[in-house]
Amino acid sequence: VVRVLVIEDEPEMAALLARGLQAAGYDVDAAQNGIDAMGLALAEGYDLAVVDVMLPGMSGFELCRRLRESTPATSILLLTARDAVDDRVRGLDAGADDYLTKPFSTVELQARIRAQLRRARMGPVPGGDAPLVAGDVTIDLARRSVARHGEAVHLTPTEWGLLRALVMHAGRTLTHHQLFDAVWGRHHGDAQQYLRVYVANLRRKLEADSLRPALIVTEPGVGYRLELPEPAGADPR
Amino acid sequence: VSRAARARVWVLWLLALAGAAATMMAVRARLDEAHVALVFLLVVLGGSAAAGRALGVTLAVTAFLVFNFLFLPPFHTLAVTDPLDWLVLVAFLVTGVTAAQLLYRAQAETETARRRAEEVDRLAALGAETLSVGRAEEALAAITRVIRTTLGVAECEVRLADAPSDARSDARSDVRLETPDAAPASHTLLVPLHVRDRTVGTLRLADPSPIALDPRQRRFLDALAHYAALGVERARLSAEAERAEALREADRFKDALLASVSHDIRTPLTTIRALAHDIAAEDPRALVIEEEVERLNRFVADLLDMSRLTAGAVPLAIAINAAEDLIGAALQRVDGMSRGRTIRAALQPSDALLVGRFDFVHALRIVVNLLENALKYAPPDAPIDLAASRDGDALLFTVADRGPGIAAGQEERIFERFHWQPGTPPDARGAGLGLAIARGLAEAQGGTLRYLPRAGGGSVFELRLPAAELSAAGLES
Repeated sequence: VVRVLVIEDEPEMAALLARGLQAAGYDVDAAQNGIDAMGLALAEGYDLAVVDVMLPGMSGFELCRRLRESTPATSILLLTARDAVDDRVRGLDAGADDYLTKPFSTVELQARIRAQLRRARMGPVPGGDAPLVAGDVTIDLARRSVARHGEAVHLTPTEWGLLRALVMHAGRTLTHHQLFDAVWGRHHGDAQQYLRVYVANLRRKLEADSLRPALIVTEPGVGYRLELPEPAGADPR
Repeated sequence: VSRAARARVWVLWLLALAGAAATMMAVRARLDEAHVALVFLLVVLGGSAAAGRALGVTLAVTAFLVFNFLFLPPFHTLAVTDPLDWLVLVAFLVTGVTAAQLLYRAQAETETARRRAEEVDRLAALGAETLSVGRAEEALAAITRVIRTTLGVAECEVRLADAPSDARSDARSDVRLETPDAAPASHTLLVPLHVRDRTVGTLRLADPSPIALDPRQRRFLDALAHYAALGVERARLSAEAERAEALREADRFKDALLASVSHDIRTPLTTIRALAHDIAAEDPRALVIEEEVERLNRFVADLLDMSRLTAGAVPLAIAINAAEDLIGAALQRVDGMSRGRTIRAALQPSDALLVGRFDFVHALRIVVNLLENALKYAPPDAPIDLAASRDGDALLFTVADRGPGIAAGQEERIFERFHWQPGTPPDARGAGLGLAIARGLAEAQGGTLRYLPRAGGGSVFELRLPAAELSAAGLES
């Protein structure tokens, strides 16, 4: 059974989250602050933690960072309420796997949780694994090859670096900052300002319609995500 | 040096001259003219060194007479028989006077150098004080105090330019306190204070007697006036910095308040929405609750954005963005609400990338707002056209529909706050801020938003954002 830890200090919200997740068949524990949450997480080893960003004492960001360090196998879903995109970027940079902005619907919450669990089950994408097939695109990290409709697609080194980073974290939004680091390393110079241009070029080579991208999705103000192929009928999102 | 002390020195040296003459008289037979000249010269030099040029010259002339009277034959007359003796006498006089003169000049120069050094020291100390004391007002007070004591004037004050007459530096009251009995000053001297060709204030000196400054004092005053100007400028800058800091503090507070309000409203909205979802199976009215929650949520977002725009506090994250990225994200946003209407998206040209320098999130908000409006007002059977192209220095995004359009004369009113298009049913209304926010966000990032009637009926909204050039050097082929 899948075990979920909910960290939320508002009782109504906490009860609601717990009820919804139990109804979906998860085993749910709840904590009201970061300290309690860390204790539970270390003792129990959850599959997933749902973290509210506004917590008394230790902030949601700090909790994300500590959870990521001490229990790396636990997926983290951050609940943000502020309208600033900064919170989402901060959350992802702190180690959250995904975020939901209040007010979200129950359907949305459960869909995001399913997506995270599916991603966690797939595990990290190791070099020797089978190629990733997404729609009509096949990406083979081990062979450094990309094909669309079975035909090889030529990518520049930067485009390949971008695609590789996105595939390695498929299903997870990578912030602009994480992408800079993955492609250009710590000492990225002028090139990074063209990140969005490289993404546009990559889309033109891989997407059926670059104005309606299905593979590389934009999270406005946050970053980009490689959409995992949906198992048929599993996700109503 | 007092008059009496001066007189004493004179008498002392004249006595020394007399003593030397008396001593030499005792052994006159064995003395050569050169011996006498040397001894007298020593006395002349000593006197010059001790009391200056006047005593030196006096001693030289006296010694010249004594020399002639007592030591050159015929003795006890001022007559000279040997022409060579004239040579000795004249040579002695010229040497004595010249020596006194030279000594005086050397001493005077030393004295001037010492005074200059003192002045420089004082100015340096003042300068350091001007630039380093806690409050600029204290530095100004120090400067006025130094001017007052150095130049010996009764009053000295700094007046700030463009300030009401009572807004003066503390220096004035400082001066008044120290000289409470000062007679009403009738003579004044005004020195303008300049910083980089700008007059920042005036230095005002006042005294009962006329203020006459020698070149040295004038130079000193000018230097101090320069420091006073710097002090005034510093006072102004620090006051400005304090004001700016207070404004920033207010902005931070406002932002924190907005964020907190946003959180406090949205958390219960999430709960309400989830509860409505829970009972949706039993009660179809739950759907209305969910829709209303969504409307309320937009309302909160609109109010937050509007208040930020009004305060000029919209955070901007300007970056190089591709037009098609923006279009893609906008289409994804309105995907769920098209209700059968189609949106045709086009890029012109379609081969080269269109890029601009703008804030992606704000630009997205504008385009989504325009698309939502078009979806709201356009007839179901006519597609909405979304296009991007390059127009001079701008990226041009157009959203065109076949809706009713905007009545002539109303084109600008639709961008006003709390404006609804006539005929909008009350339950379809938002906060009436959508287009006002859209235009505000466009202008905040150096763009424009305007309405044009569409040929053949309908509306066209034109959003222009700053375009960017792709330098080939920065990109791989």
